[in-house]
Amino acid sequence: MNRVVLEDCIMQKGIPVTAGSKILENFISPLTATVVNKLLDHGNVIVQRAKMYEFGIPNFFTDDSDEIPEAIKVVKDGVADYSLCNDLFGKYRRNAAETGCCYIHPTYGTVSRFGLIPLVSSMDQIGVVCKSIPEGLKLLSQIAGNDLEDGAMFPEKFYDYAKNKQSISVGIPESIVNKADQETQSAIKEFAEKFNSVNVDLEYFDVYKQVMMILSCAEISNNISRYDGIKFGYRASGYKGIDDLYIKTRSEGLGVETKLAAIMGAMVLSKNQYTPYYEQATKIRRLIKESLRFDAYDIIVLPCCISEDPYENLSLFALPNLVGLPCASFSYKGQGIQLIANVKNENLISTAWEVCMA
Amino acid sequence: MIDIRDYEAMEKLSLSEAERNWVSSCAELLLKSFDELEKIEADVDPLITVLDILNIFREDVAVKKVSREEILSNAPEQYDGYIQVPKTLE
Repeated sequence: MNRVVLEDCIMQKGIPVTAGSKILENFISPLTATVVNKLLDHGNVIVQRAKMYEFGIPNFFTDDSDEIPEAIKVVKDGVADYSLCNDLFGKYRRNAAETGCCYIHPTYGTVSRFGLIPLVSSMDQIGVVCKSIPEGLKLLSQIAGNDLEDGAMFPEKFYDYAKNKQSISVGIPESIVNKADQETQSAIKEFAEKFNSVNVDLEYFDVYKQVMMILSCAEISNNISRYDGIKFGYRASGYKGIDDLYIKTRSEGLGVETKLAAIMGAMVLSKNQYTPYYEQATKIRRLIKESLRFDAYDIIVLPCCISEDPYENLSLFALPNLVGLPCASFSYKGQGIQLIANVKNENLISTAWEVCMA
Repeated sequence: MIDIRDYEAMEKLSLSEAERNWVSSCAELLLKSFDELEKIEADVDPLITVLDILNIFREDVAVKKVSREEILSNAPEQYDGYIQVPKTLE
């Protein structure tokens, strides 16, 4: 029996769910997320819900790396064995690794998002905070598998994360690793020595953060349009007419980071900027996908921090979200590192983790 | 500083002076960084979703998952079994 914590964006019928936003004040979930039903079916116990910052949107310009999300704290402090959350912008991957926990971001389309409050639909994916990668994959195997309630899923009903591969080769993007501090560079070098390693050039890395930002803001702007004060959640008082109701409700109910994302979304989707920004970002997203060479390496190793500027660091976490790849972050030799594998190859990440921890 | 008031209106938002200053300055930084994208020659189709799945079909049968009462219980204001909204036509 595992003790599991759910972040406040995963719905449980009859329980208040706010995703950390005033706009969902008083909202009682009318349904239970598929992952929750699956957890309960396997005998796990939901022990708590974890607070989160609004919709999981961080401040992209202020370093808040010392503010650890509750979903990570509960695993770090032993309050829970696991927690589930949706790490879009890398804060959870970084904080988990830096506090001695692990974060597993599964392949897009393998874990149902039914009952997850949507933010960036083409990237949203429930992930697992855990103490070790093999343990995390055990829990993941309980919640992964096709669900007809989520329209963007692979057909497999189950995933076998236990299958092994004897020899793993790792791709090291040296030019990126060299931007990390000396300790992290040494840790990644030591990690690489345990495997066959090759230098890889992550083409387009310099624009990962821009592509990620444009696409996610566009989708955030769409997804939060549902918060209008009409059918559920917060409604401002003292409004004069329907338009005033919308504006007052959203202006009072949403936080400033969400407002920034919404406004950036409106910009990149507007008539004059759609082609140079949004459409160009979707095309580069394809180029990024096609630039990967998983025939030359099994996993890519990246640091969890290369700059004090969170917007610069966003590039480190964008690849799994943009391309739908599995990824895990953890602490190695006291430094946060992350491993990224090809679609549905979570087992290779786990094998590499076991080799390096042996 | 860029003027974001048109975008506020599109998003049905009205920002305070302090919020507007912060959002404008962030938007300026972001837009400047977005200009890097034009240097990339991207003569390919857009990639909107990473899955190669085109559509998911199920039997065309209506399913009632959430009752009227449950929906109404979340409505900020309700009247006589309906969600109440202000006049939409004057």
